Amino acid sequence: MGKAKVKSGPLARRPDNSAFKQQRLPAWSPMLTANTVLPFFYFMALICMLLGVWLLLTVQSTQEMKLDYTEAGSCNLCYIKRQNASNAAQSCTCSVMFSIQKAFKGDVFFYYGLKNFHQNLRRYMDSRDDGQMVGRKRNLKNPSSYCQPFDKDQTGVPIAPCGAVANSIFNDSFTLSYHQPGSYRVRIPLLRRGITWYTDENVKFRNPKTENLTLAEVFKDTARPLYWQKPVYELDPDDPTNNGFINEDLIIWMREAAFPNFKKLYGVLNRADEVFAKGLPAGNYTIDINYNFPVQYFRGRKEVVLTTLTWFGGQNHFLPVAYLVTSSLILLLAVVLTVIWWKFGKAGKNMQE
Amino acid sequence: MAQEGVESGLTWEVRANSRHYHKPKQKNSFMCFRWGRYADNLVRSYKYSPLTFLPLTLFEQFQRVANLYFLLMVVLQCVPVISSIPWYISIIPLFTVLSIRALKDLVNDMARRRSDSWINSRPCDVLISQSFNTAQWKDLFVGDVLRIRKDQVIPADLLLLCSSEPHSLCYVETADIDGETNLKYRQALSATHNELTSHPSEEALAAFDGVVLCEEPNNRLHTFRGQLHWRGECLLLDNEHILLRGTVLRNTEFAYGLTIYTGADTKILRSCGKVRMKITRMEKVFNKVVIGIVVSVLMTALLLAIGSGVFSAWLMNDLGVMSVLVVDSNPVYTGFLVYWSYIILLSPAMPIILYITFEVIHTVHSQFIGSDLEMYWQPADKPAQARNTSLSEELGQVGYLLSDKTGTLTQNHLLFRQCCIAGEIYGDASVRAEDTEPMDLSWNPFSRGGLYMSAPSLVKKLRGQECPLSRQFLTAMSLCHTVMAEWKNEAPVYQAASPDEEALVCAARELGWVFLSRTRDFIVVSELGVTRQYQLLALLDFTSQRRRMSVLVREPEGGLKLYCKGADIVILERLQKDFPYLERSETALELFSQACLRTLCVAVRSVPEASWEQWSKILAQSAAMATCERDALLEKLYDQMERELQLLGVTAIEDRLQEGVPETIALLQQAGLKIWVLTGDKKETAVNIGYSCKLLDSDTRLLEWQELRQILQSPDPVVSFFKGRQTELWAVDKGRTEGKTAIVLTGPELAEFDQRPDWGTTFMSLAAGCQSVLCCRVTPGQKAEIVTLVRKHTNSVTMSIGDGANDVNMIKTAHVGVGIAGVEGGQAVQNADFALSQFRFLQRLLLVHGRWSYRRISIFLRYFLFKTCGFALVHIWFGFLNGFSAQTLYENWFIALYTVFYTSTPIMLLAFFEQDVSSESSLRWPELYKIGQRQELSSPLLLSLSLLHAVYASLIFFFIPCGVFYNTAFDYQTMAVTVSMAATFTAIIEDHPQQQTF
Repeated sequence: MGKAKVKSGPLARRPDNSAFKQQRLPAWSPMLTANTVLPFFYFMALICMLLGVWLLLTVQSTQEMKLDYTEAGSCNLCYIKRQNASNAAQSCTCSVMFSIQKAFKGDVFFYYGLKNFHQNLRRYMDSRDDGQMVGRKRNLKNPSSYCQPFDKDQTGVPIAPCGAVANSIFNDSFTLSYHQPGSYRVRIPLLRRGITWYTDENVKFRNPKTENLTLAEVFKDTARPLYWQKPVYELDPDDPTNNGFINEDLIIWMREAAFPNFKKLYGVLNRADEVFAKGLPAGNYTIDINYNFPVQYFRGRKEVVLTTLTWFGGQNHFLPVAYLVTSSLILLLAVVLTVIWWKFGKAGKNMQE
Repeated sequence: MAQEGVESGLTWEVRANSRHYHKPKQKNSFMCFRWGRYADNLVRSYKYSPLTFLPLTLFEQFQRVANLYFLLMVVLQCVPVISSIPWYISIIPLFTVLSIRALKDLVNDMARRRSDSWINSRPCDVLISQSFNTAQWKDLFVGDVLRIRKDQVIPADLLLLCSSEPHSLCYVETADIDGETNLKYRQALSATHNELTSHPSEEALAAFDGVVLCEEPNNRLHTFRGQLHWRGECLLLDNEHILLRGTVLRNTEFAYGLTIYTGADTKILRSCGKVRMKITRMEKVFNKVVIGIVVSVLMTALLLAIGSGVFSAWLMNDLGVMSVLVVDSNPVYTGFLVYWSYIILLSPAMPIILYITFEVIHTVHSQFIGSDLEMYWQPADKPAQARNTSLSEELGQVGYLLSDKTGTLTQNHLLFRQCCIAGEIYGDASVRAEDTEPMDLSWNPFSRGGLYMSAPSLVKKLRGQECPLSRQFLTAMSLCHTVMAEWKNEAPVYQAASPDEEALVCAARELGWVFLSRTRDFIVVSELGVTRQYQLLALLDFTSQRRRMSVLVREPEGGLKLYCKGADIVILERLQKDFPYLERSETALELFSQACLRTLCVAVRSVPEASWEQWSKILAQSAAMATCERDALLEKLYDQMERELQLLGVTAIEDRLQEGVPETIALLQQAGLKIWVLTGDKKETAVNIGYSCKLLDSDTRLLEWQELRQILQSPDPVVSFFKGRQTELWAVDKGRTEGKTAIVLTGPELAEFDQRPDWGTTFMSLAAGCQSVLCCRVTPGQKAEIVTLVRKHTNSVTMSIGDGANDVNMIKTAHVGVGIAGVEGGQAVQNADFALSQFRFLQRLLLVHGRWSYRRISIFLRYFLFKTCGFALVHIWFGFLNGFSAQTLYENWFIALYTVFYTSTPIMLLAFFEQDVSSESSLRWPELYKIGQRQELSSPLLLSLSLLHAVYASLIFFFIPCGVFYNTAFDYQTMAVTVSMAATFTAIIEDHPQQQTF
C-alpha cells in the first residue's frame, strides 16, 4: 500500500491493476475425469508393483543367520547364574555352535540383538548427560540431574558416564571361530573400530582434555557406573585409543534404539585373512560368549546376527511386501472404478455442467 | 421545587449559568469506582489506558480456549518431572500469538483515541461572564449557555432559548441522527424568546437563571419531557424545544441554548449500541473443535497413563536398571505424572498457531477486497474497504441482508421525469435520465439544469399561453410546498424538507415558474419572468395519515385558490364529478407507477370568499383548544377545504436507484439471501422502491399488519398463512403455482413485538416463506431490534447495509455491517465492518470475495486440523511400543517449528489464492453461494472426516517406518527423522489435492 500513497491526483486511491491484486494469477486447475484418473491409478499400481518386486529381489539376495543364545548350549548355566544379581561380579563364559549352509559372500556384519529391552522409555532416554559425553569437565564432576539416580555413587562421587543408559551397557563379548574342515578352529577376525557414525565418534563423544595426563588421571575423581566391572578408561584393554567416552561399543549403546526389539553392530568381518576374503564360507562355527548381560529381569532374549547387506540394508521383508500390498489395493480400486465407469459413467453425463 | 419534580418523574435538574452548582457533581471515575451525576462532554470510544492495556488485552485473549490451554501447557512444562518437551517449545508460539494480537489491538485503539480527541476538541461558543468565548467541546458543562452558529454541529443536548430568526425559530438537520436530510424546525418558548431577545443578548442570557427539571438521560430521540422554572412561572418543555447533539443548525444565523445533557448523557450517545466484539461463526466452530480436541486429548492421556501405570507395575516386579526409573517406586504415581506428560506431548494437536494464521489470512483477504478494481468507485475515488479485517469469511455465509433504503438502494437524488397535464403525458421515462435530450431552456434566466424531461411541446404550450391548465399546474408546483429559498449568487437555492418537494420546485423553476422567496405571509414566484406575489392564507400540512398537503393563497388578482398535491388515492376521491381528463389521468398514473416512478396528483380549487371567511374563523378558534381535540377538528376542517378539487395533472418523480441495484438484488435473491428493507421512510415510498428495485414483483401480495396480526394470533400461524396465501392466489391467478408474498410493517407496529415475545419465532418462520420484508417508519433503535430478532430466531449470518447515522445501530448489531460511503456523512462507514461506495458492489463482495474467503478458510481449517492432529497422534501409537512413557517421537525444535515453518507456506498460499471457480462464474451461478449459507464446508461431518483422515495418516506415519525399523540396527533418531519427514511431506503434499488451482 506504500506505493498507493505516493500517487496523487484524482485517481490516487485507485487499486493497482496487477494480476496479484486482482486475484488473476495464472492457475492450473486439473479437471479430474475418468480418462485421466483411471490411467493414473493403473500407472501407480504398476510403479508400486515394480518397486515391490525389485525390493523383494534385493532383500532375497542377502543372507542372514540369527542365533538366540540366551539359553542355548552351555549358556544355559550362565543364564541361571545371571538370574541372581549377587553373582554379577563373577564372570561366566559359554559357547554356542552353529553352522552355515551357504557361504556368506561379501562383507559380513556381526550384530548383537536384544528383545523386549525398552531403550525407548522416556525416563531412560533422558537419563544421560550429553555434556559429559562431549568431554566437558564441569559435567564430569557434576553430572546433570537427569542422570538421577545414576549421577553419583553412594559416597557422592560423580559417576562417569552417568545415567541409566550408560549404566545398562550391553557387556557381553563374543569370539567367533570357524571350524576349518579337517583342520583346527580359526578365530574369525572382526573389525571392532570404525563401526560408529562419523559424527558420534568425532563430535558428540569426546574425552575430556587430557593435558599431558593419562586418561585414568583425568577420570580420577569419578566412579564407574554401578553395573560396570571396568572403569570407562579401561573398556578396551587392546586399543588405548578406544577408551573413555570414545569407546565405540559405548557410543553404539548410547545411540538408543527406537523399539524394544533391536540390533546393534558389534563388528565387521575382517576380510584381510585369506580364508575370509570372499566372506564367510559354509561350515561349522562356534561363538564363545563372555556372558554378562542379564536379561531375565525384563523377560528379554539375546541373540547374535550375522548378515550380509545390500544398499537396502539387511533382510527386512516389510517394505517390499508393503509395496506389493499397496500395489494390489490400487489395482483392485482401479478395476472397480473402471467397471463403474464402464457401466454407468461412460456417457460422461455427470461431468457436464 | 425539586420535590415537585420527583413526583412527576422529572428528576434531572439543570440550573442555567451556574457551573459552581454542577461542577462538584460531575461524573468521575477512578479504577472501577464511579461517582457524580453529570457526565462531562468527552467522547471516549477507546478501550484501553496505558495502565489497563496489558491486563485487559490479556484478559480478552485468554478468553480464547486455545490460548488458555497453551498457557496451561507452558505452566505444566515448567514442572521438570512431567515435562516431556522443554518449556520453550510451547511458549514461543504462545508468545507470538499474544504479542501480535496485542499489538494489533493497540494500534486500533490509538486510532480510536485520535478520532475521539478530534471530536472532543471541536470548538463552540460558551457564555462565560457575559461574553461568548470559544471553548472546546470537552470543556462544556451542564447548565452552560451556548451560541451555535449557522452550519455548526450542536455539541450537546440543548434547550433552545432563542435564535436570530423571528419567533425564535431555528432549523436543524438531523441527518446524523435519523438519516433524514430534510430540515426540521425547532422553536423556543415564547417566554424565553420575548425576554431574551429584547435586550442585548449576552447580558440577558448571562442573567438567565431558569431551572430546568426534566427526565433522566434516556435514549428516546423523539420525546422529551421537562419543565422550565423561571421567574416564578412553570413552563412545559417538549421535544420541539430541544436541539440534539449531532444535529446541524441550518438557515439560522445564531441559536442560543442551555446545555441539558452532555457527553454520555446525550440522547444520541445513549441510543448508540454498545460496542461488541464480533466473533465469526467460523471462530465459534473452531472454538468447539478446540474444546473437542482438548477433551479427547485428556481422555487419550488418561488411557495412556493407565497403560503407563500397568507397564511400570510390570517393571517393578523385576530388579534391574529399569525399575529404578519408576518414580518413587510407585506405578500409580508414575502413571499420574505420565498423564500430564502426555497432555503436554499431545498438545500440538491443538493448533494454536491457527489463530495467527487466521488473522494473516483475514488481513490478506481484506487487502484483496480493498484492491478489487471492480469495487472501486471512480467518481469518488473510493475503493472498497474492509475496516474490520476478521470477518471476511462471514461474507460467504450471509443469509439475511437487511438494507437501509435511502442512500443505500437509491441515490437519494430525485428527478422529475414525467408529468401528465390535462390527460397529456409529457416526457418519457423509458429512456435513462442521462440519455434524455436536453431541452432548450436558454430563455429562462433561472435555469440551472437538472431537468431530465424532454417535452418541448409542453414548453411551447406554456410559453404560448395556450393551455391554462398547464400554467396552473406549474403555479401549483411552485406554490404548494414547504421549501425554503436561500439566495446565493443571485439565484435561489432551495432547502427542502423532502427531496420530492425539491425535485418538484426545481422542475417548475426549469420550466419558468421560479419560486423566489417565502416569508411568513407571502410567496413570491416569477412566472415566465413576471414576478407575482401570492398571499399565503393557510398551509394545510402533510401528515402520513392525510397523505396530501395544500396551500390556500390569495392571487395578486384577488382570487382565492387552494392548491393541493398528494397521493393519487386521496386526491382522486376528492375531485369534482365529471372531470373530463380523469380516465386518461388514471391511465397515466398506472403507466407511471409501472415505470417505478413516484407519483403525486396536483389539484386546484377556487375557494369562494365567503366559505374562506367562515373556515378561517373556525381555524382561529381551534388554536386555543387542547391538543387532541384540536387535531380532530383540524382534520375535519382540512377535509372540508380539500374537496371539489379540479385535477391539474400528475407528476412522476424518479427516486433514482443506484446503478445496478435491481440486478444485484435479483442476483442475491438467487443466491438464497433474504433481503429485508428497513427504512425510516413512508410506507408508500418503501413499497415503491421495493417494486422498482425488483425486490417485489408486480404480482407480489403485500401482507400488512392487520392481516399479519390475525395470522400471528391464530392458533397455527404458519398453516393459516399458507392457506390464506393459496386461496388468494387461487382467486387471483390460477396459473401461478408459487405464491409471492411480502410483509410490510411500520415502526409502531413493530413495537408491539416487544409485548409479545412469542410472536418473534412465528414471525420469522413466516418471513422465511416470504419474498421480502419491508419495515417502514422505523427508528434507528428499531432497526437494531429487527436485526436482533433475526439473529435470535435464525442461525443465519445477518448483514446490515446502510449509509446514514441512523443505520449505525443496525450495522453494529448485525454479524456483518456494511457502510455505504455516500452523501450522508461518514458515521455509517465509521461503524461498519466493510465500506462500499455502491450497493451493487455488494454482489462482488458477497458472491466473489465472501464465497472465496469462506471456502479458503474452511479448507484451511480442515487442513490445519488434519495437519496438527496427524502430527500429534503419532505419539499415541508410539506409546504402545515404549511402555507409555510419554517419549516424544520428534526432535524438540521440530515440534516447535513444524506448524510454524515447515508446513505453513503451502497452506497459506492456498488460503490466500484458492479459487474453485473464477469470479465471473461465481457471479454467473449465484447458487454456488448457498454452500456457504448452509455451512457445508465447515460442517461437523467434514470436520470429523478430516480428523479421521488425520488418524489414518498418523497410523501410516508411524507403523510403516515402524515395520521397516523394528528389530533392526536403526536407532531412535533415524526413526524420529523418518516420521518427521513423513509428516512434513504428507502435510505439504496433502495440501495439493485440497486445492484446485495454483
